[in-house]
Amino acid sequence: MESGTDTIADGTSRRLDPRWITVQRIGGSIFIAVLGFGSFVAVISMWVASGMLALGLLLVPLWLVLIGALGWQLLRWPAIAYRHTSYRVDEDGLEIQRGVYWRTITTVPRSRIQHTDVSQGPLERRYGLGTLVVYTAGTHHSQVSLSGLEFTVAQAIRVHLLPRDQGDAV
Amino acid sequence: MPSEHRLHPSSVLFALAAALKAFALPALLLFVTSGRSSPGPSNGGWGPARWMNRWIPGNVEIENWQFWILLFLIPATIAALVRYFTFRLRYEGTELVIRSGILFRNERHVPYGRIQNLDAVRNVFHRLLGVAEVRVETGGGKAPEATISVLHETVFEEMRRRVFAGRAGVVQEDQEQSAEPSAPPGDVETRTLLYLPVRELLLNGLLENRGLILIGAAYGALWEAGLFRGVWDQFASGLYGPGLVRDTVRTVVGGNLPSFGRIVILLLGIGGLLLVVRVLSMAYSFLRLHEFRLTRAGDDLRTEYGLLTRVTTTVPLKRVQSLAMRQTPLQRLVDRMSIRVETAGGQGSQQDGQRKQPREWLAPIIRTSAVPALVGEVLPGLELEGLDWQPLHRRAFSRAVKPALVLASVSALPFVYWFGWAGLAVLSITVPWLVTLTWFHIRYTRWAISEDVLAFRSGWLWRQCTVVPTTKIQVVGRAESPFDRRAAMAGIRVDTAGSASPVHRISIPYLARETAAALHERLALQTAQTTFRW
Repeated sequence: MESGTDTIADGTSRRLDPRWITVQRIGGSIFIAVLGFGSFVAVISMWVASGMLALGLLLVPLWLVLIGALGWQLLRWPAIAYRHTSYRVDEDGLEIQRGVYWRTITTVPRSRIQHTDVSQGPLERRYGLGTLVVYTAGTHHSQVSLSGLEFTVAQAIRVHLLPRDQGDAV
Repeated sequence: MPSEHRLHPSSVLFALAAALKAFALPALLLFVTSGRSSPGPSNGGWGPARWMNRWIPGNVEIENWQFWILLFLIPATIAALVRYFTFRLRYEGTELVIRSGILFRNERHVPYGRIQNLDAVRNVFHRLLGVAEVRVETGGGKAPEATISVLHETVFEEMRRRVFAGRAGVVQEDQEQSAEPSAPPGDVETRTLLYLPVRELLLNGLLENRGLILIGAAYGALWEAGLFRGVWDQFASGLYGPGLVRDTVRTVVGGNLPSFGRIVILLLGIGGLLLVVRVLSMAYSFLRLHEFRLTRAGDDLRTEYGLLTRVTTTVPLKRVQSLAMRQTPLQRLVDRMSIRVETAGGQGSQQDGQRKQPREWLAPIIRTSAVPALVGEVLPGLELEGLDWQPLHRRAFSRAVKPALVLASVSALPFVYWFGWAGLAVLSITVPWLVTLTWFHIRYTRWAISEDVLAFRSGWLWRQCTVVPTTKIQVVGRAESPFDRRAAMAGIRVDTAGSASPVHRISIPYLARETAAALHERLALQTAQTTFRW
């Protein structure tokens, strides 16, 4: 275990696991399927209720275009976001870089971490991924989460981020 | 080795009871309404129950309200069962590990050393069954980090033993730290750092202008009491009421000059109102901050104030998360300012039963010349003027002025709508005003970093300055918007523990990208090398 944490905490910038893209796309597809179905029913019932043929000729293509654009965006986006997301673990803590247009770099010092979660949703489990959440005493960043890590990597980072200074310097 | 614990089987019952409690009111409402709509007990009437009864075999008839309760309880039951069957608690080295969930699995690690509070709640039913609801609290959060409902008492005892054994060293040191200053409560010398005489209180009221709040409160109270109608009627029907204002406005809009007498009465009225507001504000300040005294006893700051409600607060110096100074234009005119401190949501200090506020006055009003001494008292060795204050990026103004111009043009739109293109004339006022404001705002916004603190001050008319000791910084962030990137700039944000809406967050905009990166790195390093203590 110790060697595992040492190799993760080398201070180099790492990408997420590429399977994250797939997971995000599946999640997006589920979302678009639900939204598409709901809005389709709404559009059709509006059409029927209005009793105007012309309205349907306008609404249905509009619906197609909107849902199509959103669906396309949801399929395309994860790969773009993936390229702009990275993390770095070193002796001092965890640094997360993300954002395509609005970019942020968030540094969480190890000495400020209160406790940690590693969680796994059904999709993540299917692909062997996990989400690491670190909690600090802060207000706006009281929790910082990093999803799209390989499950074992998430656990290794967690082990590394454990407070080492138990007895002495707290 | 690591032994695992589960929830007590009765936890399902407690979860259901909690769900029932949450639905007690809606259920009662449903009971009442459905009782009205379906008077007979078994006619089914309308609603989901009728549909349900068709599918239920035998002669069991349910009513609407029963159906709704069932509908609410089914998910609650499932959740409680899932929780009961998946929950696992174990002790691993120096940590408490909690696992839960089937579909969404979560594993939470809480280091013993970070646990601030370990509470057990036992009501009558808990005691009957010999169980306890356990709350594990670490820093920061408003809610407990883990509410474990419910564990068998022996499991809780073991948890307590392990947690306190695990952090024994820590606790001991903590006590040494806090014992040293506050050990002999009798002999701690108490020094008065600030005392506000009546004159200052009245001045504070005059500057702060809380009168409108009082008027608002009085308005509300009168309205509630139903007295308002009478008062308002008298006021409105009077000669000097709004009728006068309305008539005058009409005359002016009509293109005529109102009579001289009218103008005088109107001006006197407005002046009188303003005067009343100020006087009320002074009275309010006098009542609320009466005999304001800030003292230092050992390593604690104490404030005491109030005539009707006497407020006493204690702020341990090491709990100070940030220090915020504020100066309004009026205050600057008479060389005064106000200072507040933010403290972390009080873990462990709640046992004193003291009033706990995340934000506390250090000085509602203080002479500018007295500020350095007070600041030095709270953050020893800090000299605000001695800091190396850095300006923003040289092109910060040209960045900041753009949103200001957008704001000006958007706010001109209604005028164009009302007055046609002539409405654009309003731009001749708003544009110079906003540009000036932005120019000075950028010029007066500065930041400074030293070995111990990060300081940020901003604003021109309303000036604010926030100082955060680096040991209290939690998370450091750097942000680049698309506009920032085009100008090769970035902003730095610093997160501290404290109230959810700090008056003045440290968020330094418009820095050169390299400056921001260097500052980020330095802050991250300084933060990482120190340990956070509450």
